[in-house]
Amino acid sequence: MVKKQAGVFTGAVGLSVLLAGCGGGTGTGDDGATIELFSNKSESIGTYERLIEQFESEHPEISVNLEAPPEAETVLRTRLTRGDMPDIMSIGGNATYGELAREGVFYDLSESGLTDEVQDSYVDMLSQLAGPEHDAPYGLPYATNANHVIYNKEKVEELGIEIPQDWGDFINALETAEDAGETPIYFTLQEAWTGMAIWNAVAGNIVDEDFAERKNAGEATFVEEYDEVADKMLELLEYGHSDNFGVGYGDGNTAFANGGSVFYIQGNWAIPEILESNPDIELGTFTLPSNDDAEENELVSGVDVVLTVSETTEHSEEALTFLEFMIEQEVAEQYIDEQSAFSAVEGVYQEDEVFDGIREYFEDDRLTSFPDHYYPAGMGVENLVQDFLINQNKQESLEEIDSEWDFNRNR
Amino acid sequence: MRNKTNWKATILLMVGAILILFPLYLTVTIAFKTPQEMSGNLLALPENWTFDNFIRAIEITNFPNALGNSVFVTALTVLIVITTHSMVAYAIARNMHKKFYKFLYFYFISAMFIPFPIIMLPLVLQTSAWGMDNLVGLAFLNGVMHLAFNVFIYVGYVKTLPIELEEAATIDGASQWKVFWKIIFPMMMPMHATVAILTALAAWNDFMLPLVILSDSSMYTLPLVQYAFQGQFSTDYNLAFASYLMAMLPMIVLYIFVQKWIIGGVMRGSLK
Amino acid sequence: MKKDHVFLLMVLPAFLLFFIFHTYPALQGIFYSFTNFRGYGDWNFVGFFNYINVFQDGRAMSAYVFTFQFAIVSTILVNIFSLLVAIGLNSKIKFRKTLRATYFLPFILSVLIVSYIFQFMFAHMLPQFGQAFGIDFLSRNILGDQNLAWLGIVTVAVWQSTAFNTLLYLAGLSTVDDQVYEAADIDGANSWAKFWRLTFPLIAPFFTINMVVAMKNFLMAFDQIIALTGGGPGRATESISLLIYRGGFEGGQFAYQSANAVLYFIIIVAISVIQLRILERREVK
Repeated sequence: MVKKQAGVFTGAVGLSVLLAGCGGGTGTGDDGATIELFSNKSESIGTYERLIEQFESEHPEISVNLEAPPEAETVLRTRLTRGDMPDIMSIGGNATYGELAREGVFYDLSESGLTDEVQDSYVDMLSQLAGPEHDAPYGLPYATNANHVIYNKEKVEELGIEIPQDWGDFINALETAEDAGETPIYFTLQEAWTGMAIWNAVAGNIVDEDFAERKNAGEATFVEEYDEVADKMLELLEYGHSDNFGVGYGDGNTAFANGGSVFYIQGNWAIPEILESNPDIELGTFTLPSNDDAEENELVSGVDVVLTVSETTEHSEEALTFLEFMIEQEVAEQYIDEQSAFSAVEGVYQEDEVFDGIREYFEDDRLTSFPDHYYPAGMGVENLVQDFLINQNKQESLEEIDSEWDFNRNR
Repeated sequence: MRNKTNWKATILLMVGAILILFPLYLTVTIAFKTPQEMSGNLLALPENWTFDNFIRAIEITNFPNALGNSVFVTALTVLIVITTHSMVAYAIARNMHKKFYKFLYFYFISAMFIPFPIIMLPLVLQTSAWGMDNLVGLAFLNGVMHLAFNVFIYVGYVKTLPIELEEAATIDGASQWKVFWKIIFPMMMPMHATVAILTALAAWNDFMLPLVILSDSSMYTLPLVQYAFQGQFSTDYNLAFASYLMAMLPMIVLYIFVQKWIIGGVMRGSLK
Repeated sequence: MKKDHVFLLMVLPAFLLFFIFHTYPALQGIFYSFTNFRGYGDWNFVGFFNYINVFQDGRAMSAYVFTFQFAIVSTILVNIFSLLVAIGLNSKIKFRKTLRATYFLPFILSVLIVSYIFQFMFAHMLPQFGQAFGIDFLSRNILGDQNLAWLGIVTVAVWQSTAFNTLLYLAGLSTVDDQVYEAADIDGANSWAKFWRLTFPLIAPFFTINMVVAMKNFLMAFDQIIALTGGGPGRATESISLLIYRGGFEGGQFAYQSANAVLYFIIIVAISVIQLRILERREVK
């Protein structure tokens, strides 16, 4: 008995080792350099893969590995702790970017001249995030985004809804949709971050832009300044479907693409996903007019993708070559076409008619940044907002967001 | 009198077994369906069994690579565990009367109560500083994480082995070292099997340790790959379930062939 | 070579590995918990500052409450189910081997992948079922409901962990001699009384081990939560492990979460000791 078991056991181990020998090989290959491109967006994986293929055929001596894990910011921080930063990082222009820039993990791009090729206003936006003491160009703003309302053109025309210009208009439009038996807004609040698309769209036109600065100085609170934002968020929530907190982003995109609702409050990044589910749907966009005064309503826009190079990389030259490739006109155009994004590269414009409704905001520079890009990273505001939407207890929730912000600085 | 079949229990257990098998049934059928069929009855069998999902999943997730990683880590972990843990357990079991070994025993066992998160953060720093953020490092760490439990059951087993055999061999002039490898190690075979099974299952299915330790996605093990590709699977559940099924299949197949042996091994471990 | 030296040599590899990759990081964790280290960059000593803050941290408190609620309920349910299944499998039934193999199957599967499969079922199947039968609380995705999401996690935990505990109970039951029952049959005891008076006391040691092991595993829950809810909705299902992982890396709260981990360790040890004491005392009776 014992003997038989021993045989099986040795056999199993032997087989395993044998298999491992076959499968383990993933070396870099020839003498060329391999650089790693870390991306925080799952939406752009396909696009990046195609661009990398093109880049590698132009530069056969460099090979690029794409990494795009879920919870990318946590993974990036883990790697920072490990002292193992990816060669190139394609991340969002948010608080994490600012913190990493202050920490000195990014390569200073001023000598490369790359930032001359992109629009100054976005370069400024990034240095603002990094703070006055770190104003060197540590990142190359690449793609920018718009946080807006996406609408189903067919339904809107059928219902005779005019594009709303102020809050009253918008509520009327939602009422019209509801009266017609449609679901006005498709919420995907099972995934907390999707609540931030709404939060940012609403707050962007109501709360002053210097709120974060004053909050850090102890001169402002959410309780005082986000009261209207909170009320309006709850008002919007009344126009959802039957399971607002049970549906995630992916399923929500599919549902909206198939006529699940009239409106969908998301950024431009959702558009390719929606079109993938239903290539025939006709979409339009407009800015969420959260302010009662039409004049005050601007488009919430930020740096969606900033390309940075690690300060400690051994392949800075190859990494810069990749960045140069990315800002070539055709490449930048391909990126924004596939991603339905906007380019920070000079002379590259988004022509897609989906964006007809918001184009004038870009042209007239009626833009405002994402409020939460200035919140401290790691306070997990999205879960607090999600919690607020579920429990609908305004006072308590805003107080908690206030205290989490303050508390986060003690951790 | 007690030999009558208990039909009530049989039927209840069969109903329960359906609950166990249902998620797996769902996994298999969805993995073979087309996205169009998803809008129909989710419980139905696929109309045309398609392998497309598997082909796509293999391509997207680079399945052979992940399988190789999982097999490598599991095999190396088992190897490390069987050799080092049996050795230390033998030394402890034969010297329990000495203070030092008694201390060692409780020192190792106490690790069972130390939650992994307490060592997680420093361990990440340490492994990367020492260039161990790879599959070999992961296998060694697996060995460390299972030490407490393995020592516990190995020591229990060695105590049941008669000491006379060793004494006779020592008198014949064999060194203690030789006695262990030639006599004791083979005698521990049933326990090796138990330890190997439990350690292999844990290493194969582990998620948290590889998640924080491995630095490069080309080293990802099967569970980690499922996590890493959630974004790409998105709402393509057919693709996702094909990938899940392939990740679980090696263990399921192994289980079907040697389940009696696996169950026996685990039960033997629990009686120690 | 002397016999004692050989024994020392045998101890060495495991001891070194264990000390370097377990004890040393644990000590480091304790050390950092008294600093303001973020995982990178400069740091200073801050004394008990982090510990004081953990006690005032609403997020940490809710993680502890959730984790314990989940662990206690899951432990009890797993033990009830596995004991029932084990008794069933131990009685005179048909297809015993097949049934036993089926019930043990979940143990060999990855927690993460199983959770992804259940996540799909909660999102796409249960609501259909709930709507069709007019069961209100099932007509929506329970993972999207702050009051119900934890039950989804319990479901997966019970589905999967019952396997292993059943086997432990089966091992226990196999040590019970049939003659004991025969004696009881002659006495005319009913099966309920037979279980409590005869079977249970005999397998009590297995009950103790099962309770302690299951509880400890559930207190460390991580994989299920990542796959099912990601800690949401809100922070309703954020476990301590998840909080330490997220906060420690994403939030740059390395030192702070180290302090949290130390407290967590103390609590786990305390609970394990208490459990062992209480359960062992009962066994003696």
